[in-house]
Amino acid sequence: MDLAAELKEAIIAGSADRARELTRKALEAGVPGEEVVNDWMMGAMNEVGKRFERGEAFIPELLIAARALRHSLELLRPEGGGPGVTFVGRVVIGTVKGDLHDIGKNLVAMMLQGAGFIVTDLGIDVPPEKFVEVVKEQQPHLVGMSALLTTTMLNMRSTIEALERSGLRDAVKVMVGGAPVTDQFAREIGADGYAENAFAAVSLARRLVGVG
Amino acid sequence: MTALARAQPDRVPWMENDFEEGLQVRIMGTRDYTPGDLCRRLGMDAFGYHYPSGGAAVAGQLLQSKEDMKSQYYYPTRITFDFVPPWIAEMGTDSDTGRTYIKKGLLVSEEALSLFDTFLPDPHHPARYERVQGWIAKYKEDFAVFARIRFGVASAIESMGLETISYAIYDNPGLVKCVVERFASWSAAVVEHLNQMDFDFYWVNDDIADNHGPWFSPQVFREFFLPYMRQVARVMKKPWIYHSDGNLMPLMEDLLTLGMAGVHPIQPAAMEIGEVKRQYGHRVCLVGNIDLDYILTRASPEEVEANVRDTIRVAGPGGGYIISSANSLTDYCQVKNVLAFSRAVAKYGRYPLVGHEAGDDGQVSEYRGER
Repeated sequence: MDLAAELKEAIIAGSADRARELTRKALEAGVPGEEVVNDWMMGAMNEVGKRFERGEAFIPELLIAARALRHSLELLRPEGGGPGVTFVGRVVIGTVKGDLHDIGKNLVAMMLQGAGFIVTDLGIDVPPEKFVEVVKEQQPHLVGMSALLTTTMLNMRSTIEALERSGLRDAVKVMVGGAPVTDQFAREIGADGYAENAFAAVSLARRLVGVG
Repeated sequence: MTALARAQPDRVPWMENDFEEGLQVRIMGTRDYTPGDLCRRLGMDAFGYHYPSGGAAVAGQLLQSKEDMKSQYYYPTRITFDFVPPWIAEMGTDSDTGRTYIKKGLLVSEEALSLFDTFLPDPHHPARYERVQGWIAKYKEDFAVFARIRFGVASAIESMGLETISYAIYDNPGLVKCVVERFASWSAAVVEHLNQMDFDFYWVNDDIADNHGPWFSPQVFREFFLPYMRQVARVMKKPWIYHSDGNLMPLMEDLLTLGMAGVHPIQPAAMEIGEVKRQYGHRVCLVGNIDLDYILTRASPEEVEANVRDTIRVAGPGGGYIISSANSLTDYCQVKNVLAFSRAVAKYGRYPLVGHEAGDDGQVSEYRGER
């Protein structure tokens, strides 16, 4: 089995130490960091995502794969002695005002971190003005919003409108998700994308920042 | 109870796993009413949740100091029929609604297991059983009364945190099994007492899935959760309903080995009730399916009526169906829609159902139109 295939298997299996060791070998062998991340590692996460969608992988399998990925990505950061690849983008994420649900949002945050995003998680019940405040401070690439209730998902529209009023809307991409949310709703409220699950959120996020 | 036994009663029963107090009060127009008054107002057949009885409504489970929490558990100040273990978690309270929520699970290590002794009430303390038995005697009338309990799966997931328990399944499986077993043992001890009380059935609330499907694979479910669920199910001497949100189909065969009489809430976004009726209607009573995402919250009363009618026509033939919301009646349901729900159940829920004849095999026949 070649190094790429071994790394892919290690990430899928959630073998964090093994994945890190194989990443080190790849870098020492001169494989470009961009190739390790975008082809080898994302290939592994794509496979995990497909298995999740087919009902062959579940939340623990997603999380241990993301953890193995994150463990390996540390080697590619400058502070890990790496070539400085891996920073994909900054995301501010939260569950919208009035909504106290966070399981889905937490999963998305973990998967995004695993995929190399720097994530600021605002938690639950986040009013539009808080999103605006943090976007002003941190200038993220992406804002992610989650809602589990049809009543609270309307606050996604409020948040987007608040970003517009503050002159920040064009500076960020907005992605939304949650049980009652649909692609159509996302388009109606002016979001840039809708993700059906945590894995799809990673694909969408990468596409929105231009690396996927 | 006839429907729970998968037989055909005189009409489709209606009951709810939870009915938030704010909505109750808006429907009744007062805080001064009994559980029976509420059931009569709407035509419901059972109760088992909180009632105001003069106390402030606080949704959810709250873990305060060990003394406060245990005292509140032993001596509840408002009418309740719950016997659920506390979340061993850091809790928050929403300032607008008073609703409590879990900030962070605290059972994250072997060292943290001492929190069970610190915060779990004594399941043999007599006070709560005596108080609740008094409420059953006072309010039961001709209604069925249920106790809400847990197996311990949801307790473990929330008290560890979904992230922690997911990693621990691979890194420290013994910890997960220990946590689930501790909660299950507590619930089993509680059930031994409940079996002696005048409850008609139990409603076991243990979320393990979302709309996509179960959070855990069947293999993980069978190793880490099912044996401990069975530990509690084995001691239950009354019929019981199993509640979990989400799509349970991948686990249904395993779940049915536990011996439940009913499955709830058959969320329409996750499970198609006609398909569930076809596959499992001869083995378990179906409870639920009236949508909360749109029907009870944003639809018109006419849409509510149509949805109730159509659901009864699909799930009701042959009996073995109890109508209910697809989770609970929450504060954000519209009063006019709950009243429309009530009227529609009365209009369409009487057996024989209009346009249907249930076959001897209990199979759902297609609606052929009114005779």
